[in-house]
Amino acid sequence: MNTVFALWKRGLKAFVRNKTGLVLSLIFPFFFVYVFGAIFKNDFIEDPISYMLSGVIITTVFESALNLASSTVDDMVSGFMKEVLVSPAKRIAVAMGQLLSAATVSTLQGVLILAVGLLTGIKFTSWTTPLYILISMIFIGIAFSGAGLFMATKVRNGQTFQIVKTAVTMPLTFLSGAYIPLSMLPDTLRFVAYMNPMTYATAFFRMIVLEKTNLSITELKNEGLVVDINGFIVTPLMTFAIILTIGLVFLLLSTNSFVKTDFSRLNRSATDANELWG
Amino acid sequence: MDPIIQVKNFTKRYGDFVAVNDISFDVEEGSIFAFLGPNGAGKSTTINTLCTIFEKTSGSLLIDGKDVTVQKGEVRSTIGVVFQDSTLDAKMTIEENLKMHCVFYNIPKREVEERIQFVLKLVDLVAERKKLVAALSGGMKRRVEIARGLIHYPKVLFLDEPTTGLDPQTRAHIWEYIIKLQKERNITIFLTTHYMEEAEICSKVAIIDGGVIVAHDTPYALKKKYTRDKAYISTKNEAALERLLTEHDLNFIKKDGYYRVEAEYLAGLLEVLSIHKEYVTNIEIKKGTFNDVFLEITGKKIREDT
Repeated sequence: MNTVFALWKRGLKAFVRNKTGLVLSLIFPFFFVYVFGAIFKNDFIEDPISYMLSGVIITTVFESALNLASSTVDDMVSGFMKEVLVSPAKRIAVAMGQLLSAATVSTLQGVLILAVGLLTGIKFTSWTTPLYILISMIFIGIAFSGAGLFMATKVRNGQTFQIVKTAVTMPLTFLSGAYIPLSMLPDTLRFVAYMNPMTYATAFFRMIVLEKTNLSITELKNEGLVVDINGFIVTPLMTFAIILTIGLVFLLLSTNSFVKTDFSRLNRSATDANELWG
Repeated sequence: MDPIIQVKNFTKRYGDFVAVNDISFDVEEGSIFAFLGPNGAGKSTTINTLCTIFEKTSGSLLIDGKDVTVQKGEVRSTIGVVFQDSTLDAKMTIEENLKMHCVFYNIPKREVEERIQFVLKLVDLVAERKKLVAALSGGMKRRVEIARGLIHYPKVLFLDEPTTGLDPQTRAHIWEYIIKLQKERNITIFLTTHYMEEAEICSKVAIIDGGVIVAHDTPYALKKKYTRDKAYISTKNEAALERLLTEHDLNFIKKDGYYRVEAEYLAGLLEVLSIHKEYVTNIEIKKGTFNDVFLEITGKKIREDT
C-alpha cells in the first residue's frame, strides 16, 4: 500500500515539476479547439467550441494516460525499474502505483483544460455535469493508463519507442471523432474508427459534456453523439459497456504483463527497430 | 559460522551459449570479495543471478542461507545492490530517492530520517540532500547509489563495477567509503571490477574467465603464486655483472641497457649484488602486480577501458 502511494506521489511530483510541459499541454488543446472549431462551423454542430472542447479534453486524457507507456519506458531506460526489481516491493503494487498516478495526472490535465474552457465560454446547466465529467475522466484515465502500461511492458528498445508511440496514437486520436466528426471520414477510415476504443470513449464523454444524456437515440444520432456503424446504433449503455470491457481487459493485461516482464531485457542502446518489440 | 554467500556448481546458459560454467565459491561474512575478469567473462551474469534478477540454469546459490532463486523476497531484503549503470530516479532529489527506497524496503517511518542522515554522512552528501539527481556529477551519483544500497542495512552489498568511468580521485573516495563500511558495520561486500589495483584491496579475489573461475585466493597468495618481483639493474661493467648473476643461478634478460632479473626472494638478489656493489650504477625494483597475475592466469591483458 505504501508503495502504491509513494509511486502515485512520485508521478504527481514529476507532473507538477514539469512546468514547460504543463503550459504546453494547455496551449496545444486550445489551438485545436479554435482551429477545428472554425473549420467545422456549420449547421451540423450547433456549438462548435463546446463540441471541440469536449473532444480536446478527452484526447488530452487519452494521451496523458497513454503517456504512462513513455514514462515507464523512461523508468526502464534510466534504470529506475531495475531498482524496483531488486527490492522486496510487490510488483503488483508498483503497477497499481504507476496506473493510479497516470490516471490522476491525466484527469488533472483534463480538469485544467476544462477550467480554462469554462472561462472561455463553455457552460453547464446542471451541477451534476462537472461531477459526471470528472468521473468519466478518471474512469477513462485508468482504462487508457492500463493500455499505456501494457505497451510499456512489451517494449524492448527505448529509443525507437517514442516514434512508434506517436505513429500509433496520433492516427487513433484523429480517428476517434474527437476532432473530426466520424460522418466526415471516408469509409475505410471510418471502419478503422469503429475498431478504435477511443471512438466510444469520445462519444460517451461528449454526450456528457454537451449535457445531451436525456436525448433520444435518434436525436443523439442526428447530433453525432453516438457511434453509428452502418445503421447499427451503439447506444450510450452499450458504449459504456464497451469502455468498461476495454478498460478491464487493459488493466488485467497490463498488471499481468508487468508482473511477468523481465525489465533487465530492455535493450538500453539498440537502435535496430526490429528489436523494439520482443 | 556458515559463509554468507554459498555458490555451488552454478551454471547459466543462454541457448547454446554457456555464460557461466559450473562455478563454486564461498564468501565469508564481513569480507570484501572481488570478482575479477574481462568483459563477457560471466561477472555480471553471476552478480545478477545472486541479486535475484536472472534465473539460474543449474546449481545452488545461497545468501545468508536463503536460496536466491526460491526465497527471492527474503534475499532482496538482505542485500543491497549498486548496478553498473545508474538506477537512480534522475527527476527526483537525493532525499526523495532515499525515501522511495525506504518505502520499497518497508523501513519503519520513524527510522527513515535517522537512516537518511546516517547514509548521507557516510558518503559525504549531507549538504546535497535536496539536490536533483540529474544535477549531480557521476561520482556523486555513484555515492548516492551506495548510500541508497545501504539504507535498509543489508547484510551483503553488491557493487557491480562501482568505480568504472570515475576519475582516479573519486575512485579513491569510493574505496574509502567501501572500506569504512566493511570495518564499521561488518557488511559483506561483493564487487566486480576490472581494475587490477582495486582487487588488491579485497580480502579474497576470484578471477573469472570464459565462464569459469580460474583462480580464487587472497590477493597476496595470488600474487605470490603467479608473480615474481623484478629488478632492473644498470651497470658500467656488464661482463662482471653477468658473471656474478650467472654464478648465483639468477636468470636475466638484457634489454635497452638494463638487466632484468626476476626473483622469488629479492632479498637474496640484493645480497648477491651487495658483494660487488661497484658493478651496480642503478637498481629499480618492481613488485609483482595484479596485472601480472591476470596475465599469467588468463594469458591476456584485462581491458582497462570501457
